[in-house]
Amino acid sequence: MAATRRLQKELGDLKSPNSVLKKSFRDISVDESNILLWHGLIVPENPPYNKGAFRIEIAFPAEYPFKPPKVIFKTKIYHPNIDEKGQVCLPIINAENWKPATKTDQVVSSLIALINDPEPEHPLRADLAEEYTKDRKKFMKNAEEHTKKFSERRPAD
Amino acid sequence: MGEAAGAATGVITPQLSQLNITICSAKLTATGGLFSSKPDPYLELIVDGHSPRKTDVCRKTLTPKWDDQMTILATPYSKIEFKVMSSNSIRTDTILGCATLELYPILEKENGKLKNCPKTIELQADGKGKVGELTLILSDMEVNMRNFPKDRKNGARPVSGIQNGSAAAASANGPPLPAQRNPNSNRASVADGVRRPAPRAPGAPNSQGRTPPPVPPPPANPSPAASPTAAAVPPLPRTASSNSTSDSSSTAPPTTAPPTSTGPVSTEPLPPGWEMRTDVHGRPYYVDHNTRTTTWERPQPLPRGWERRTDPRGRTYYVDHNTRTTTWQCPSTESLNNYANWQEWRGNRTLEQFGQRFLYPQQAAPAQENDPLGPLPDGWEKRVDSNNRVYFVNHRNRTTQWEDPRTQGIMQEDPLPEGWEMRYTAEGVRYFVDHNTRTTTFQDPRGGPQKGPKGAYGVPIQYERSFRWKLGQFRYLCHSNTLPGHVKITVSRDNLFEDSFAQIMRLQPFDLRRRLYIIFKGEEGLDYGGLAREWFFHVSHDVLNPMYCLFEYASNSNYSLQINPASSINPDHLQYFKFIGRFIAMALYHGKFIDSGFTLPFYKRMLSKKLTIKDLETIDSEFYQSLLWVKENNIEDCGLELYFCADFEILGKVEQHDLKPGGSEIKVTEENKEEYLNLMTNWRFTRGVEDQTKAFLEGFNEVVPLQWLQYFDERELELMLCGMQEIDVDDWERNTIYRHYQRNSKQVVWFWKMVREIDNEKRTRLLQFVTGTCRLPVGGFAELMGSNGPQRFCIEKVGKETWLPRSHTCFNRLDLPPYRSYEQLVEKLNYAIEETEGFGQE
Repeated sequence: MAATRRLQKELGDLKSPNSVLKKSFRDISVDESNILLWHGLIVPENPPYNKGAFRIEIAFPAEYPFKPPKVIFKTKIYHPNIDEKGQVCLPIINAENWKPATKTDQVVSSLIALINDPEPEHPLRADLAEEYTKDRKKFMKNAEEHTKKFSERRPAD
Repeated sequence: MGEAAGAATGVITPQLSQLNITICSAKLTATGGLFSSKPDPYLELIVDGHSPRKTDVCRKTLTPKWDDQMTILATPYSKIEFKVMSSNSIRTDTILGCATLELYPILEKENGKLKNCPKTIELQADGKGKVGELTLILSDMEVNMRNFPKDRKNGARPVSGIQNGSAAAASANGPPLPAQRNPNSNRASVADGVRRPAPRAPGAPNSQGRTPPPVPPPPANPSPAASPTAAAVPPLPRTASSNSTSDSSSTAPPTTAPPTSTGPVSTEPLPPGWEMRTDVHGRPYYVDHNTRTTTWERPQPLPRGWERRTDPRGRTYYVDHNTRTTTWQCPSTESLNNYANWQEWRGNRTLEQFGQRFLYPQQAAPAQENDPLGPLPDGWEKRVDSNNRVYFVNHRNRTTQWEDPRTQGIMQEDPLPEGWEMRYTAEGVRYFVDHNTRTTTFQDPRGGPQKGPKGAYGVPIQYERSFRWKLGQFRYLCHSNTLPGHVKITVSRDNLFEDSFAQIMRLQPFDLRRRLYIIFKGEEGLDYGGLAREWFFHVSHDVLNPMYCLFEYASNSNYSLQINPASSINPDHLQYFKFIGRFIAMALYHGKFIDSGFTLPFYKRMLSKKLTIKDLETIDSEFYQSLLWVKENNIEDCGLELYFCADFEILGKVEQHDLKPGGSEIKVTEENKEEYLNLMTNWRFTRGVEDQTKAFLEGFNEVVPLQWLQYFDERELELMLCGMQEIDVDDWERNTIYRHYQRNSKQVVWFWKMVREIDNEKRTRLLQFVTGTCRLPVGGFAELMGSNGPQRFCIEKVGKETWLPRSHTCFNRLDLPPYRSYEQLVEKLNYAIEETEGFGQE
């Protein structure tokens, strides 16, 4: 496949011990029969999400890198920029911004940054955005509870 | 004579004749077992393996009566296959019985003339023997059997003598043309010596003075244009003969050298009046006391139906009473056989070429004249009418026109001012060079169509005026090529697609240019245009419906349709594309709109315009942006890892395609990326859809010549086919969902009030603001798609009254703040959609 070489290189970079994401993006697994589908675990640093970890799926199109990958949250998350279905509006993989030179580690970095610091001015869930801006305390409390209830266990190290 | 002249000048006259077959009825023996109930029989007719023609289906009977008359083109050697099939809505249709009819023996029996000739033939089925009888009537075929020897395998080469004769036709003292035996010159009188195969002067089909000549007869007839030149050559006497007749009364041996090898001397008696003598060297020669001539060749009796005559100047000529033709050359059985073989060879050759013309235009007509425009497109012929005016015939769909198809649509431009020149950039964009000032510009010095106020079609008036003019040209061509009478298309509403498919494909393409008479089964109603309009609308809705997998949306945000590369999931897809091609041509021809349109690149393909990277933007903006990024950035050292190959996912399978031989091993670099981008663009447009596109264009071109579209550009073509899209506000409202608003929230009520008050163009722009497209899916708002699948139009309460509305085009969502008044909502929404394109969009 035309995209195989590129994806293998990117995967190697992400799994390398030198990767800057080695702490926050882990357990990267690729379906053996389909290099276009990746899974991984997001481990955020900032509260209220630092109480858990979140599984994501990255789906690359056959036309990669001419088309951007899609990111979906598999773990429920209480976040103004991620809706109930796990969809996320991530500018770096938006059709208008995508560049074939954009690498997956940049995409994941940008995703982790968004998780750590929500952007209530571009919400997918307006109710959460409103809570986030108007009553941060309440938001933090709800989000933390939600995280404890639904998220994955954080890796030991 | 027309034929010989045809051979000499390269005009092709195929040996096809028209034959009317009436499929009357069949009697089928009950098969039991296999069919618990009676079958639904229809008949399929195949001439020489060409595409089948079908009758209607008779329901639940073993004695179907079709009484369906079909006009076919056949040669005397044609084999016609008949298959009686049983229609089945679930399984594939089954064969009930078949029969093959060879025309030759029937023609032979009827002396080449078929007139209301009834035939009953046995239907056979595999392993069952006779399963029934089929009754037919053959009619209206007339051929001269002399031109069609029984054994067509014999000698595929022309005979030199006769070929010479034909070649010499142009020279003044050549022998008479062997093609005098052409059945088409039968009308010519022998007595007046000069043959005038009354050419069918192309006359006006209606009273209009400027109408091109009528639709030409089927190709079996001689080319009328070619005939007059040929008719000018009278059968001039030969002054000297290679080996026989001389005016002298001498009975001395011939003056020419005898044949070096004489064949076995025939023991057949000499014809009356002949005598064999021997010259001083002991060589035999023959004296003809009738004509007082000598020859080395042993005379042979004249073939049956031939007579020797002498003209007033004492010259001998031969009359063939079989064909009522004359020739100077003494016929012999051998020469006649040779001639027949030659003619048959020529017939075959032209048939082959006739076939090839459709596939390989370059090999078709031998370079007719030194035409700077190059050869005519496939299937076209240039002719001259009785007033010496040149016109063009399209044999493929039987249309005529005055304009040269090679320059159609490009000649009407005004000339450029003095000193100006038009050129094209590498991307095919035209620009203008002003040699006076040595400057270049993209602005057309004649006043570009871009400027000026807009007219009714939403295009600038100046432009529209020319669009109207072009439309007028197109309509004129349609009008002047209308066939008389009407064509009935009977369909049932609950099986519209399949019924329409069967009916359209069963008809000859040119029949589809007759006035349409649409009948919806079980409904009364005369079609004065309204039913046809309805039919076009519904059928286009059905066939273009992506659910059928023939077409798909160009992208999530572009609801224009393009061919679905996965259409082969339907094994008959190419037949369907051909049908759709015919159907779309009919819509244009009859001036009807279809429900939803195609992508601009698809229209460009119909116009055979070159597709560029820029064209990708409308159908796949992501792909376009990426290619553009590669084009505009230095790609070294940014780890793109691109090679000259591309992946394409079709029916869940990803396949790799090399953009050039060994491409998967050739890395894309800054140096070769231009080539890569060109190959990639081309591949992106053609991947998986080439065969379907060809089938579509073929179907289209059968009904309306593609050249007629050359007046238009792709946008105009879209306008002609779709008209402006009217937005259905009820449908929109019905299929809208709300978040943090209720259906009866006052902001929502105001929103719909506003939508109903603005005009269609504004609505289109509002829709575009929220969804990113002005086109709607075939199923309307209910089928609106977002970037992750179906996503209805959604209005969400966000922010406060000072905010502007925002949109999320990937989720078809409008963030509408809770404005305090209707006026405020109108103002803010207007501002958002009018002022800054892309403003507030996610």
